[in-house]
Amino acid sequence: MLNLAWRNLAQNRIRLLISAGGVGLALTLVLSLDAVVNGVEHQLAAYIERSGAEVWVAQQGVRNLHMVASTLPAGAAEQVAVVKGVASVTPLLYTTQSVQMGRDSRLSYVFGLPLNARAGGPWKVVEGKALPAPGEAVVDSQQAKDSRVKLGGSIRVFGRRFKVVGFSQGGSSLTNSVTFISSEDFARLRRTGSNPSFLLVKVQPGTSPQIVASRIQRQVAKVSALSSTEFAQQERKVVKDMGADAINLMNLVAFLIGLSVLALTVYTATLSRRAEFGVLKAIGADTGQLVTTVLAQALYSVVLGLLLAGVFSFLVLPLLLPWLGFNLPLQPTLASVLKVSLIALGIGGLAAIIPVIQIAGLDPAIVFRGGGR
Amino acid sequence: MSLAARYLLQNKTRLALSLLGVALALMLILLLDGLVRGMQRQITVYLANTPGSVVATQVGVRNLAADNSLLPPGTEDDIQKIPGVARAIPVLSQSVFFELHDRKIFAYLIGYDPAKGGGPWRLAQGREPRQGREVVVDQTLARLHGIKVGQTVEVGGYRFPVVGLSAGTNSWMTTLVFVRKVELERYLLIPGLTSFVLVEPQPGVSPQILKERINQLSGVTAWLKPELMAADLRIYEGFFQPLRLMRGIAFLVGVLVVGLVIYTATVERQREYGVLKAIGAGNARMYGLVLSQALVMAFLGALLAVLLAYLVAWLIMVLRPQFLVVLEPSAILLALLSGLGMALLSAIAPVWVVARLAPAEVFRR
Amino acid sequence: MKAQKTAAILRVEDLTKRYGSGTAEVAAVKGVSLEVAPGEVVLIMGPSGSGKTTLLSMLGALLRPSEGSIQLNGTVLTALSERDLPRFRLREFGFIFQDFNLLSALSALENVVLVAEMAGVPRKEARLRATEILKELRLDKRLQALPEQLSGGEKQRVAIARALINNPSLILADEPTANLDSSTGHEVSRLLRHIAKEQGKSVLIVSHDTRIQDIADRVLWLEDGEFKEARTLAIDPVCGMSVERTKSPTATWQGQEYFFCSKGCRSEFLLEPHTFIQGEA
Repeated sequence: MLNLAWRNLAQNRIRLLISAGGVGLALTLVLSLDAVVNGVEHQLAAYIERSGAEVWVAQQGVRNLHMVASTLPAGAAEQVAVVKGVASVTPLLYTTQSVQMGRDSRLSYVFGLPLNARAGGPWKVVEGKALPAPGEAVVDSQQAKDSRVKLGGSIRVFGRRFKVVGFSQGGSSLTNSVTFISSEDFARLRRTGSNPSFLLVKVQPGTSPQIVASRIQRQVAKVSALSSTEFAQQERKVVKDMGADAINLMNLVAFLIGLSVLALTVYTATLSRRAEFGVLKAIGADTGQLVTTVLAQALYSVVLGLLLAGVFSFLVLPLLLPWLGFNLPLQPTLASVLKVSLIALGIGGLAAIIPVIQIAGLDPAIVFRGGGR
Repeated sequence: MSLAARYLLQNKTRLALSLLGVALALMLILLLDGLVRGMQRQITVYLANTPGSVVATQVGVRNLAADNSLLPPGTEDDIQKIPGVARAIPVLSQSVFFELHDRKIFAYLIGYDPAKGGGPWRLAQGREPRQGREVVVDQTLARLHGIKVGQTVEVGGYRFPVVGLSAGTNSWMTTLVFVRKVELERYLLIPGLTSFVLVEPQPGVSPQILKERINQLSGVTAWLKPELMAADLRIYEGFFQPLRLMRGIAFLVGVLVVGLVIYTATVERQREYGVLKAIGAGNARMYGLVLSQALVMAFLGALLAVLLAYLVAWLIMVLRPQFLVVLEPSAILLALLSGLGMALLSAIAPVWVVARLAPAEVFRR
Repeated sequence: MKAQKTAAILRVEDLTKRYGSGTAEVAAVKGVSLEVAPGEVVLIMGPSGSGKTTLLSMLGALLRPSEGSIQLNGTVLTALSERDLPRFRLREFGFIFQDFNLLSALSALENVVLVAEMAGVPRKEARLRATEILKELRLDKRLQALPEQLSGGEKQRVAIARALINNPSLILADEPTANLDSSTGHEVSRLLRHIAKEQGKSVLIVSHDTRIQDIADRVLWLEDGEFKEARTLAIDPVCGMSVERTKSPTATWQGQEYFFCSKGCRSEFLLEPHTFIQGEA
């Protein structure tokens, strides 16, 4: 009966392809949105994870980086430096700012780095130098390429001109790029004083960042100290919270679209073979066998749709999107693939309901009444 | 009734399922579009509703949504002295994250002087802040998180007592929280500074002229409000990309659904089409028959989609008041145009089937 | 005859089927009794609306009778539950239809294999058995062909193979030759007789086709839901249908009386009688 189900579907290949494609695209809605959200989560957390710091110290209550302001109380750096297990402390100035590059103006994390920064600098410099001196800036290479800014060219941050001395990679995200300048320039132009936004702490070898973080939390007043792992996790949570509703809505709509496409296919495939099912019933197939066939038709289509969705989401889109001018990070997760598989199974099961009812109620005696035609 | 319509109506369950598929895909397009429009409206809600038609920011600042514009103390007094200025309202703003039930709520803290303006334009409850760290929060945010007048909210370890709830300030990404400017200066450790100045021209003075006059001040850039709003929207372009991608996929889904229906219907009637061809119907007439079925489907789907979109948009806004879905009459046009595009693309495969059809088929059993 | 009767494979007693109720009640089949012996070919004929389809549906366990009983191979069909009926049909009946009713997506071989698999035969064995039967029916070169690629006679032979695959005791054929040209129809009816005689299967055919009379052991006439005395039937010289002498339009030519299925055939005959009579001869 399973073979029959497949042959019934495969008899009209174009129809099978269109319908599996329809289901596949509906599932792609879910898969790609999940992948985008996950990709953005990772992009945003990338700086934190790759900064080289093992503990992040911020103004009390600040637990992430994206679009937040943090100003540490005076003397915090000195107090943190003497906490047991701390190897080095790098003060970091940070704000989210639009940076003017060529004709474009883009949102960017702007970091002010000391000249001797032990952490927090660009982790992958593809050209030029990593740590900017006063009047200099290190910018994202992709962004510079897009805006046709070359090494030695200039950009504007805080309304002032900076000379581009280095290109970094991997710090940008969907929402913003990354720009590094010297803390001296930052403090002067930002007019927020020289109190750092964050302290990036490296711990002594063999010491747990978690323990050092809690020590800092205890010993230094008015700060929040988190291990990099935890800080990155909080950063991802920001995206997750923002994206949660959009994802839920997309799950539902994609489920409904997929359902109607597949219901249509299974319904049509079954209905156009009503007579054949009648013949099988007359010959002696029991209802269970017929229902199995209809269900298998639905499941085969759904599995094919699922495969197509995977191909769309993970092969076609990554190739197609840059070409279409999209700059979206697609990073699929196993959980999302599992979720979409479940959605697909649900679609398959539900889509088969109407045809199953029709087949179950089929009167086998139609075979003798010219119903076989 | 035309042959095309009869063909479609012959099987009602199938017609219903296919209309649903098309309508859902179109509805998704409308919703995503409405969501983008809503987000855009929310991003510019503050500038759109506050007094003044010219805004002065720190020089070099390209927008307000992302740039931290900071003007030195006394800038608003300098602006006030410029001829043609009726009112100069200093505002200090800063994006913050509220910590609410372990969730992070992104908000713009708007520091304003209640005596000068720039605060909430409609109060749903309570009063404006008068002293200390009193704040007015958005009523939707308050409802979502069970914040009541008289309670406090916390940002970065500081507690802010809520004294009023504002209406029309809701925004998914950028909810507004109003606080006295002096208090925000203290919180941000930047005494006397201002982010931007809202400038109201005297009657008869053109905003353009005023803008040019303000630009004479050193360290200051003046904007017409619409310019600044457009600049703010560009900053959030990245946020709209996933929605645009989804919209594109939804369109393709619609193409496939219409295609599936018309293709299936065509293949099933292959013999009949063969008969028509044998009788002498030309290819053009046959394509017309296929295409008009696709068009009818897409048109009905579009109408259903508009209804569904309004319904779902309403549902979304009831269940998730932080979202704003803006469906304008142009949404109907969008649905019809998308539907038309779907119909044209989806007719490709069936037209191919018909074109290939040999009229002699009719003599084969 | 007596020995055959005691060994009857199909035994039908007082079978009645009524539709509707009260004054609107119509009996499609009234008190029909019938016995069929192993290896016997029985042909049931009758005009349209005589109850043939209803009777066939009941005999094939597709329709429950209002009264009476059907016994096949000692099992009382009418006593079987709805659950058990499909299984019973699958093993004990072979069905052959007017329009062949092959599954269009499956090849000739697969059409036959599927029915064996449905009965629980493992795929390998089912394929072997099906191939063998199809070979016997001279279809060994057409195993992989789809129904649309087969001729009418080939399709009906595949259908016969499908009917035989589960080794049933009774074959029910509904107008098996109606969609075939005369020589192919003749071949198919001879094949059915061959199966009955060689394999000892009972074959029950419902048909309008008088040519089948040649291969039938017994011809029964169903009319108004009842078997009528084997009446003397005449053959319409124009269209070749069997017609009843009492109810048909008649015409006399050259001293001989002729009977027709309809007035149309009669007037056609009267225009040029000699062409039809010569054709007969």
